[in-house]
Amino acid sequence: MSQTITIDPVTRLEGHGKITIQLDGAGEVASAHFHVTQVRGFERFSEGRPFYEMPGLMARVCGICPVSHLIASAKACEAIMSVRIPPTAAQLRRMLNLAQMVQSHALSFFYLASPDLLLGMEADPAVRNVLGLAAANPALGRAGIGLRRFGQHIIELLGDKRVHPGWVVPGGVTEPLSAAKRDQILAMLPEAYANLALATDAYKQIAGQFKAEVEVFANFPSSYMSLVHEDDSIEFTDGTLRLVDAEGKTIEDGITANRFAEAIGEAVEPYSYTKFPYYKPLGYPQGCYRVGPLARLNIVKSMGTPKAEKELAEFKQLADGPVASSFYYHHARLVEMLYGLEKIEEILADPHILDKHVRATAGVNREEGAGHAEAPRGVLHHHYKVDEDGKITWANLVIATGQNNHAMNRGVMQAAKAYVQDGRFTEGGLNRIEAVVRTFDPCLSCSTHAFGQMPLAVEIVSAAGEVVDRVVRD
Amino acid sequence: MRNSARIRCLILACGNPLRADDGVGPCLAAWAEERFRGEPDVRVIARQQWGPELAQEIAHAECVLFVDSSLQSRAGAVAAADIGPSPSVGNWTHHLGAAELLALSRQLYDSLPQRAILLTVGVSSMAMDEELSEAVRAAIPEARAQIERFVLSQRAALAASPLAQ
Repeated sequence: MSQTITIDPVTRLEGHGKITIQLDGAGEVASAHFHVTQVRGFERFSEGRPFYEMPGLMARVCGICPVSHLIASAKACEAIMSVRIPPTAAQLRRMLNLAQMVQSHALSFFYLASPDLLLGMEADPAVRNVLGLAAANPALGRAGIGLRRFGQHIIELLGDKRVHPGWVVPGGVTEPLSAAKRDQILAMLPEAYANLALATDAYKQIAGQFKAEVEVFANFPSSYMSLVHEDDSIEFTDGTLRLVDAEGKTIEDGITANRFAEAIGEAVEPYSYTKFPYYKPLGYPQGCYRVGPLARLNIVKSMGTPKAEKELAEFKQLADGPVASSFYYHHARLVEMLYGLEKIEEILADPHILDKHVRATAGVNREEGAGHAEAPRGVLHHHYKVDEDGKITWANLVIATGQNNHAMNRGVMQAAKAYVQDGRFTEGGLNRIEAVVRTFDPCLSCSTHAFGQMPLAVEIVSAAGEVVDRVVRD
Repeated sequence: MRNSARIRCLILACGNPLRADDGVGPCLAAWAEERFRGEPDVRVIARQQWGPELAQEIAHAECVLFVDSSLQSRAGAVAAADIGPSPSVGNWTHHLGAAELLALSRQLYDSLPQRAILLTVGVSSMAMDEELSEAVRAAIPEARAQIERFVLSQRAALAASPLAQ
């Protein structure tokens, strides 16, 4: 008799999803899927809107990474306008994007992942949460809150709002940076560095306890894709895309936003509202790849800032070639946060950072435009077409989480085979299967969109389709 | 960051103004912001949801008034009750309740406000709408009066306290 195990909803994620595990008659895992159960619809209801409204509209896709949508959308609009934004505006956007990366990574590492890492995968689910973390290690809890507030406060200073700031517009940003705000951000940096050092030390002390998880947490060869700077260092806001194979060899380099659709296709599967992007020359699913912190660190040759450079060198010692286990997304986030702090400090030292010229203007000069940026979870692509009046006639968004969709599903399958045997599983085993998905920090409200509560349940279904067991979390 | 100065009264509102009556918290917060403008011992924060970061704000407050909507109460009913820390939390760590925030403040910062009150306004609709229902609109004056009384009484109590600076 075959069975299906359903984890619904998967907890401690951004958004709503579930996992099903189909067992065969012998109780072994026959298939496993991560389902995104929301639907977004932003592409459709943006049709008919003036293109210059798009950044503000698209930022509403997500409350965690609205800045990435703002930037990718503004860049797509600038392609339509055929303008190059002032250098100071580009630097200010970069700082805003890095601030968002820091706060988002802090949320993922401290609030969502750390309960597993610090309390253990087998810990009582009643305490395996942010309050349990606070009780077990208050200093780490304070560090997490401090880093998240650091990023949020920069976003609020620059964009006037912590969530959905409207400061980034087609052509640049609406207001220059003031000396007072610059000094406020600089004053916050020492505490942010200290908080991050505490977290990094804590992670390195406990990471060795998770060797078994490292082996089965989406640990397989794959391609990786991310933006890279022209000097081969990490890049979050500009640059071009590079795709590398499982050995780290470049498959294709210099993919601009305008060429994205030539290189990347989107497959669909019946069990998910999120698409499955893939590299067209390799086809689907062979052309699927991973994005986000692990991919970025596997691809870049350097971080471009001194402290993060040392951490990157240590990270690259984890494997001979690309680091394949998705467990190390957690480690990669810590390295990227350090880069973010250093880069923000560097940007603020730029003698032109207070320049007043921060916006270029133009009308519709092209009927199509695309833009991309690195969101915390990976590269984000916006592509629009407009009519002669600048009204949107077509839009497509390729979201970071979607680009990890295939890898998350493979990871769930791999972990299910490790933790479900002979039809039996433990709560800790199911938590590990969820934790595989958490390593990617998927943003399901970005990759698709809906209202309401996120459910989580595990169902065991017989070969005849009868549910024989179900675990539900509300 | 604004977290070093101790705040006497923190008014912490929750709600989404795009979800009809759920916007009553932010609506009351906007009023309180104006009512206590220029009074540095009162701080007003409105959020669509309460996240763990707010534990730090609570740790620096001498008294806290949580303002939220309630689906359990009769539409338009205004209720205020003392609330204490509770460590229970669901699986959703993006947003916490008032009791959980107090627990987090105690665990992380070893600090609790001298008094914490949860003021709720019963709601009838949380549909997609920017307007409050008639019942909730009618309850606004009473809710404002309770907020004002809370702040003034806490000021008086704190001023009379031997610990008052």
